[in-house]
Amino acid sequence: MKVALGKGKVAFKGDGIIIFQEVSHAIQAEKLIRKYGYEVKLISPPPELRKGCDLALEINLVESHGIERILKKDNTAFVSINPLMKGTADLCEIVKTTDYGQWVMVKAGNMKITFAKNSGLVVNVSGGGCPDIPYLHAEMVDKRLDEAPSPKDLGYTLCAVMLDLAFQESIRLWNGGNN
Amino acid sequence: MLLLAGTIPDKNMPLTFGEVSLKNGSLVADGRHFNRFQGTGAMISAALATTNYLHLKPPKVLVVGDIGDGQGSRELYRYLIDNIVDLSPEVFVMHYCLPIMTLMRQLCQAVRENDKKTVMVADAGAMYAAKGAELSSEFDIMTPDPSEIAFLADPKATHPAYIAEHLFECDASKIPDQIDAAFRNGSAAKLLLVKGKTDYIASGGNILATINEPDVPMIEAIGGTGDTITGLVSALVYSGMEPKEAAIVAAKTNRVAGELAKVTPATKVAQLIDQFQSVFEKHLCQWSEVCCK
Repeated sequence: MKVALGKGKVAFKGDGIIIFQEVSHAIQAEKLIRKYGYEVKLISPPPELRKGCDLALEINLVESHGIERILKKDNTAFVSINPLMKGTADLCEIVKTTDYGQWVMVKAGNMKITFAKNSGLVVNVSGGGCPDIPYLHAEMVDKRLDEAPSPKDLGYTLCAVMLDLAFQESIRLWNGGNN
Repeated sequence: MLLLAGTIPDKNMPLTFGEVSLKNGSLVADGRHFNRFQGTGAMISAALATTNYLHLKPPKVLVVGDIGDGQGSRELYRYLIDNIVDLSPEVFVMHYCLPIMTLMRQLCQAVRENDKKTVMVADAGAMYAAKGAELSSEFDIMTPDPSEIAFLADPKATHPAYIAEHLFECDASKIPDQIDAAFRNGSAAKLLLVKGKTDYIASGGNILATINEPDVPMIEAIGGTGDTITGLVSALVYSGMEPKEAAIVAAKTNRVAGELAKVTPATKVAQLIDQFQSVFEKHLCQWSEVCCK
């Protein structure tokens, strides 16, 4: 039995929220985000997240990085992007390293980047589950840290944000541990 | 049918469905070539190596280009929602894709309408979507790594980037507690294969088996070595193994392949996959009753 498209369609329910200062900004952003094919819904923000506007946008949090870039490119003002769920933790920003002798693996959240200590060559990218990660793997591996693209510039998702954390720490370590 | 679905990091790759084969080192389906890189390609390649060795029908794959904006992922979900009942696979693996909870709900609803039982496997973005949509228990197997089991254990997190820091910081000895929490939260599939320094196979909150040997710590740095485990376990279940046995054999196969390939952190995942046939030849009959036919 073929399931018809739209049968049993479930209303969009996201897990992220964009807060705006002005109602007009939220409306403008909603049109813009929808134009790029993202799912989005205008909602009233919960009291604890209200920052001067009673209109917000519900989005898939995992898409926040791509959406943020669209808004910035269009100069659409917004206050912040947050998890919608009450009490959800902030971004996990702990970074860990593993020394493999000639190589170092840097891990941030679910993402890992491994580079050669002497040359700074990125030899592997691992972890994650979003579609930009295999793309970033292809774009970054076999490039030196100072030649590889920044995951935040090429990526769209929270996985890319976490990989960027690991990437920035890798650059810092390769530069002798200094910023 | 063993159906493997996921995104490919090539924005020009249209939605493609077909039987997969390996030609000159690259995967081919419906005349379109794609790489055995980290992600869906590595998962498919591992499954194909297994079905080839066991003389089973090659997997059918549903792949689409997506570099992160989610357009391809949406096409993938919608095709599956429309066609999963007609396809009626015995084993269905959902892998790299944007975790879109609304579409995952629709997909699970479509699967429920099939009278025939499908073994459902989720990893990567599909696992994130299933957990976020509170549908993990509809899946038979999930294959999280240590950060992802922390994510499944955290009832509030909708993405591994938002796991509570105390869960991320904890040492490997806490993984059994996290497995227990994931089952209690309803965030686990019926069977979990947690990939790490020790591989854990768990069901219903109980650890059924652990695999520690051979210890090849550099495997963790190689992109795609978790994806290969997902491909292995799925193909082994398709061969007739029970999920628990398939998970044990998959974990052992990956480790021994790493040892045979003499991996370093710079090894590419395809080099590991190329060892699977040797591993099966040497060990599969000892490890399992499902042997080379």
